[in-house]
Amino acid sequence: MQTVLVVDDEFGVAEVLQSILEDEGYRVVTAINGKQALARLGEFKPDLIMLDYMMPIMDGTHTLKAIRNDAALASIPVIMMSSLDEAAVRETCTGYNSFLRKPFRAVAVLNLVAQLLGSPS
Amino acid sequence: MNNKDTNQDTGLERIATGVPGLDEVLKGGFFEGAVYIVRGTPGAGKTILANQICFQHARQGKRALFVTLLAENHARMLQHLEQMSFYDGRLIPKYVYYISAFRVLEENGLKGMMDLLRREMRAHEATILILDGLIAVEETSTSDREFRKFIHELQAHAATAGCCTLLLTNGRRGEYHPEHTMVDGLITLEDVPYGKRRQRELEVRKFRGSSSLRGRHPFQITNDGLVVHPRPESRFLRNAGVESDRQISTGVEQLDRMTQGGLIADTSTLLLGASGSGKTTLGMAFLQESSKQQPGLHFGFYESPQRLIANAQLLGIDLQSLVTAGHLEVLWRPPIERILDSLGNELIDAVRRRKVRRLFIDGWGGFAAAAETKERLGPFFAAVCNELRSLNVTTVCAVETDNLIGPDMRLPIEGISAITENMIMLRFSEYQGRLRRLISIMKIRGGGFDHSLREFDIGPQGLRFLDTFENAEAALSGFAKHAEHASTRRPASSRAPIKKKPAKGRRAPARRRGKA
Repeated sequence: MQTVLVVDDEFGVAEVLQSILEDEGYRVVTAINGKQALARLGEFKPDLIMLDYMMPIMDGTHTLKAIRNDAALASIPVIMMSSLDEAAVRETCTGYNSFLRKPFRAVAVLNLVAQLLGSPS
Repeated sequence: MNNKDTNQDTGLERIATGVPGLDEVLKGGFFEGAVYIVRGTPGAGKTILANQICFQHARQGKRALFVTLLAENHARMLQHLEQMSFYDGRLIPKYVYYISAFRVLEENGLKGMMDLLRREMRAHEATILILDGLIAVEETSTSDREFRKFIHELQAHAATAGCCTLLLTNGRRGEYHPEHTMVDGLITLEDVPYGKRRQRELEVRKFRGSSSLRGRHPFQITNDGLVVHPRPESRFLRNAGVESDRQISTGVEQLDRMTQGGLIADTSTLLLGASGSGKTTLGMAFLQESSKQQPGLHFGFYESPQRLIANAQLLGIDLQSLVTAGHLEVLWRPPIERILDSLGNELIDAVRRRKVRRLFIDGWGGFAAAAETKERLGPFFAAVCNELRSLNVTTVCAVETDNLIGPDMRLPIEGISAITENMIMLRFSEYQGRLRRLISIMKIRGGGFDHSLREFDIGPQGLRFLDTFENAEAALSGFAKHAEHASTRRPASSRAPIKKKPAKGRRAPARRRGKA
């Protein structure tokens, strides 16, 4: 089963993503900030990371940088998520594979995940 | 307001909100490092207000941190904010940063929450912190004491960091709010029903370190965010100063004679009369005297500037050339649903902008229609008149009375006679089979005046004063009759026209000649 790590501080966002993806057959693990996400990544290697741009303690930009600098994690595809448009995010953050603008529709999430992972195995 | 304004009493720096009207209510803005509660029901405008303050702060290169607790999700909130002119996505995340702390509160309690706030304040170098959803903290607290401790600790961190903190809450717990005694200020936002209409109102209930404008100030939520209209009764409190003994022309020669030289400068005059009695015409004659030295303002509700100018033209009053020369401004506020305070402030702002000396308000009913309650009108009018007096404005205000004809003259505003210095009454009276316009002076404060009742006429040549009603009885009943013992009427040649430039060869109307 393919695993997705969802990292978002906002109540409701991670829960919604978890239910959408689990209904589709993916396994989902959540974290509420970048620091917690890196701790989780020390324990397992997901197939995909969905990462919020603005978070407390460690934001998406710094978390992504840490992931890309870690040889063991660098190849994991990352979807960056934000309420801002992508142009604004790109000013400070690069290196992600896809971008998901909030608020999102379930179908958009599933299409994006499928593009990066293929159908859930 | 400069962001670096410092309160001389406290030595603390002010943080201007940039919200129109609010900084005036707060007399300069919030204080750095202070903690305020903004309380209001859902939809009252708390989140918009807080975001507006954050973006204003960010535009000055300063940083704001917006923390939500089970409030609207960030994506939705930002989608709504995008419609607002103050929103600038380019300022996010560097200058305005949004985080949610609800999970931390759920998982780590108040202590975890406090650690998060402290750390994030420092990490983002925030000098404004918004905590949207204080109620969630309150609900997580196991006791009032624990909640108070949280507020107390937050105050200490905010003060140390110099971070002005706004705690947004719906305050659904009723009237007992122990935290209100602790914070530096309390602002409430309410949506108050008045009959079938509602009005948003803001009140500063507590504000440590400075005075503020007291009472409830109306506000609107527009595409520019919140716009607060400070209540004129609290805004205009200064002493009107030394009374003038200078007189200025009413624009009507005979009326100047009746007032023994014109209206005393810097006073307010009510023109009372029924619809069609000539109030607007007299007002236009008054404004005809506008000049570079005495800039005029027509503040009206009922006629568009084009129509007003055209109507004046028909009466031989040339307002257009005064407007063109910049000596007169015509402001029109159609009588749709408006906010009284906003109208009062707009009037005073227009007066200040052009240093207006001659003001005609047409008419009082426009203000009355905007008032949320009748009781406000007296104090409101007193405050506005006082400010106009202080600004050396001579004001003439048309006030429409209910009855078209008859002896009753009910004043539409309680206590109005004590507020204004002068009152001129216009009436209709039926006399010798014709409806006639009468003018009389009821009051000129501190000055003598002609107590007689005069007939006047409005025609293509403007205003004309005719005879006094010396030969008629019961004129004020509305149904005058010829006096049995009346003396012979004065010859028509003695009747002076009231326009400044008397029309040559003018005579009394044919119907009246020789019939007295």
